[in-house]
Amino acid sequence: MSDVALSVRNLKTFFYTNQRCNKAVNGVSFDIKKGKTLCVVGESGCGKSVTAAAIMQLLPRLSRIEEGSITYHSERGDIHIEKLERNGKPMRSIRGAEISMIFQDPMTALNPVFTIGFQIAENLRYHTKLRGHLLAAKVVDLLRTMGIPLPERRINEYPHQFSGGMRQRAMIAMAMACNPKILIADEPTTALDVTIQAQIFELMTVLKQEHGTAIMLITHDMGVVAELADDVAVMYMGNIVEAGTVEDVLRRPVHPYTRALLASMPVLGRGRGQNIEAIPGSTPDPFDRPKGCQFAPRCPYKIDACEQMPAETHTTPTHRVMCWRYEEFAANAT
Amino acid sequence: MALVDIVSRRSRLDRQFDELRRREEAGQLKHVTGSRFVRKFINNRLAVIGLVVFTIILLASIFAPLLTPWDPTKINLRAINQPPSWEHWFGTDKTGRDVFARVLYGGRISILVGLGSALVSALIGVIIGCYAGYVGGWVDTVAMRVSEAIMAFPELILVLVLVSILGQSLFNIMAIFILGGWCGIYRLVRAQMLSLREEEYVQALRSFGLNRGLISFKHMLPNALGPVMVNITLSTAAFILQEAGLSFLGLGVPLNIPTWGNILNVAQDLTVLQNSWWLWLPVGIFISLFVLSVNFIGDGLRDASDPTQQG
Amino acid sequence: MLTYIIRRLLIIVPMAIGISFLIFLALDLSPGDAVTRMLNPMQSVDPDRIEELRRALGLDAPMIVRYWIWLSNVLQGNFGRTLTGGVPITRTLLERLPATLELSAVALLLSSIFGAILGTISALKRGTATDNALTVAGMIGVSIPEFFFGLVAIVIFALNLQWLPVGGRLLPSYTSYWDHIPNLLMPALVLSIMMTAGVMRYARSAMLDALSREFIKTARSKGLPEWRVNLLHGFRVALTPVIVLIGFRLPMLIGGSVIIEQVFQWPGIGQWFVMAVRAKDLPVVMTVALLTVVLVLVVSLVIDILTAIIDPRVRLGGE
Repeated sequence: MSDVALSVRNLKTFFYTNQRCNKAVNGVSFDIKKGKTLCVVGESGCGKSVTAAAIMQLLPRLSRIEEGSITYHSERGDIHIEKLERNGKPMRSIRGAEISMIFQDPMTALNPVFTIGFQIAENLRYHTKLRGHLLAAKVVDLLRTMGIPLPERRINEYPHQFSGGMRQRAMIAMAMACNPKILIADEPTTALDVTIQAQIFELMTVLKQEHGTAIMLITHDMGVVAELADDVAVMYMGNIVEAGTVEDVLRRPVHPYTRALLASMPVLGRGRGQNIEAIPGSTPDPFDRPKGCQFAPRCPYKIDACEQMPAETHTTPTHRVMCWRYEEFAANAT
Repeated sequence: MALVDIVSRRSRLDRQFDELRRREEAGQLKHVTGSRFVRKFINNRLAVIGLVVFTIILLASIFAPLLTPWDPTKINLRAINQPPSWEHWFGTDKTGRDVFARVLYGGRISILVGLGSALVSALIGVIIGCYAGYVGGWVDTVAMRVSEAIMAFPELILVLVLVSILGQSLFNIMAIFILGGWCGIYRLVRAQMLSLREEEYVQALRSFGLNRGLISFKHMLPNALGPVMVNITLSTAAFILQEAGLSFLGLGVPLNIPTWGNILNVAQDLTVLQNSWWLWLPVGIFISLFVLSVNFIGDGLRDASDPTQQG
Repeated sequence: MLTYIIRRLLIIVPMAIGISFLIFLALDLSPGDAVTRMLNPMQSVDPDRIEELRRALGLDAPMIVRYWIWLSNVLQGNFGRTLTGGVPITRTLLERLPATLELSAVALLLSSIFGAILGTISALKRGTATDNALTVAGMIGVSIPEFFFGLVAIVIFALNLQWLPVGGRLLPSYTSYWDHIPNLLMPALVLSIMMTAGVMRYARSAMLDALSREFIKTARSKGLPEWRVNLLHGFRVALTPVIVLIGFRLPMLIGGSVIIEQVFQWPGIGQWFVMAVRAKDLPVVMTVALLTVVLVLVVSLVIDILTAIIDPRVRLGGE
């Protein structure tokens, strides 16, 4: 297990807003491997961001981790994150230092009234012994590594003086400041231009290779998955319906949802005559969920057994899926 | 202490969560139908209490003749300055008038001044705001300049300046309140209209060729009504407080008409203040309760009409 | 930053001129003028001499010229004379100004500090008994008429307990500045109650708004301790709207002080103003109104500059 940085087992996280209980994450398991990128894909509202927030213990007030475990395999031994107090000292010493996070929109994720330099230095100040001009030099160094020109001058500027791409670079500098073991990126490029998107991903790839950082990348873009992922987990309505290596999931998809997701995507270079299929129906109301398999109402291959929740089954040692008819689909996969 | 606090609070929240989860899993939590607005308002305990108190005081004032046999303006020199008794619930004043009757009848005028001025200024503000915000043009420019000038005055100063020019009367007081009060709602509606104007559905309506008045009053205004209602309640509260303050100074509604503020006017006298508590304390509490209930209602409306609030 | 201030001035100065013209109009249309006010009504004066005086003061000139004369007088601090008694307005104004400034400044300071602190506590303890209690207390604070509060305070602390004087500004045995603290205490506290409640409610919602922003999550994700997340990242951002609100509330404080000065017989501008309204002494009423408007405009400018200083987005000319 030495190559696993963090393992999540049967994690359930529920929300309790508006006097209702929303089972946002309903039993997910996965591993984040050292030096690898795990892509979590799914439509909005499927629970991917909640999973990330649970790992960081950054869940909103009216929600909690119900069951399951989040184990961080640190150098000091295993740490059970789900048992730590939300904003307690042990959790805080992990956040930002060993597991750090970048967010979707760098404009709102940076505090508008503090300089970029101050906000990056804050991280270092709390996790390292760097002070004074050594600290400032480190911040400049970080910004330069992230490809921000004239870092000496830019550390004294405010977020609104940065362009979108530069802001996200600054966010990554902040996240990477203490050389974390795990970087969680929650749709880091959704708010950016496509050209900037490629630059940010390139930067993340370099960081992964140079520092051996494990990356958990949350996205809804299958193109990004194909580009960056080592492992893929496909989420639907709070469950991981299919997971495996990028080869497994993209080349030999088994679950009807994964297949539908891939079929709904145009492929560049295949020309106009492509057969793009939209997924019928829409995601169910989280408060009025189907009884068994969550995808059943939209699934063209639905059978009576789908009234029950299927178990997670491995088709190969690396590939697992949650579907009653996986054997048929696995057989005609390639 | 602090630790105990945190532990007990966490567990309280946790217990609530457990209960919710149990009921959700038992399928007891149904999809709530009906207006989300009404539901949220009714779930707000303070707002409901406010509505109840408001209704009681309002009805008591309207049906005052049924609740008290006394005439609020009838002078009775044989029963002056009596403390509360079964006959006179809030006692009598120095000319022998029944204070309870005066409070109930005074409520009529005070509520009329507060609610009436608020409604009329809202009406004016909405009409000008709607037109100015959607159509713009010189109406908007003029209304904006005028409202800026009015809002540069502290409210009470403006009211007193106008009182010294126009003189005191019930009509004048209401007119003065309305003159100072329409700007707030005008600006609110105008701002809402300006942002709604950019919404796609409005662009769509325009492309259908609907006329501008129809679009702004029928399709845009309903979306701005939530904040307007909140504003009406808040300005009702403010006007009632202002009327009370003005009349307390003797500069509001003429003293021969009983209003809550006019009843309090006697409290400027220190001997009354110390010896005849029934002349000012009950009516002060009445005003405070009424304004408090209006404010609770306003707060409830605000929370209920705010789609971002959860809980 | 400089262009920002100039832009603000370009809005404020025309408005001040417009309002001063309105005030001049009200004065000009009211009965009597500067000459009749200067004269002793007991003495009969030759009508020709009155006309001569009028001409000398420029009162027969067209309205716009008279406005110009009035305005230049006002700018030099000469506001004319009161209708009742013919006293120079400026003299009384200067006598009474310190009392009002003292009362308002103390009330403003108290309410800003307490309001901001209580509102922040309320937001940080959201949903708890503390928060509920503070919210209800804030509601009560904005619902009770200030003068009623004052009356209750007088009955309790001055008449029954006899801890504090009933009113007035100075005790007879006044020797040093600190001697009139007992007189100041009650009016200042009562005056600050409503504003404290207002600031508290606003500080709470501004703080909740700041705490719900994404950058708070970022700050937590860096492993910062809660106090730093709440106070440095949260409160610092909530501060700007709170300062703006305090500025906007200042007119209410002025309005409140008019009534409170009356309740506590505080010899300030407000009390004088009420006397003038009762006596229909328009020159005094209009002078005080003009001064409050100028004060409000100046304060709004100061608030704008302050927010620009604390908010880099404005300071550096972005957005």
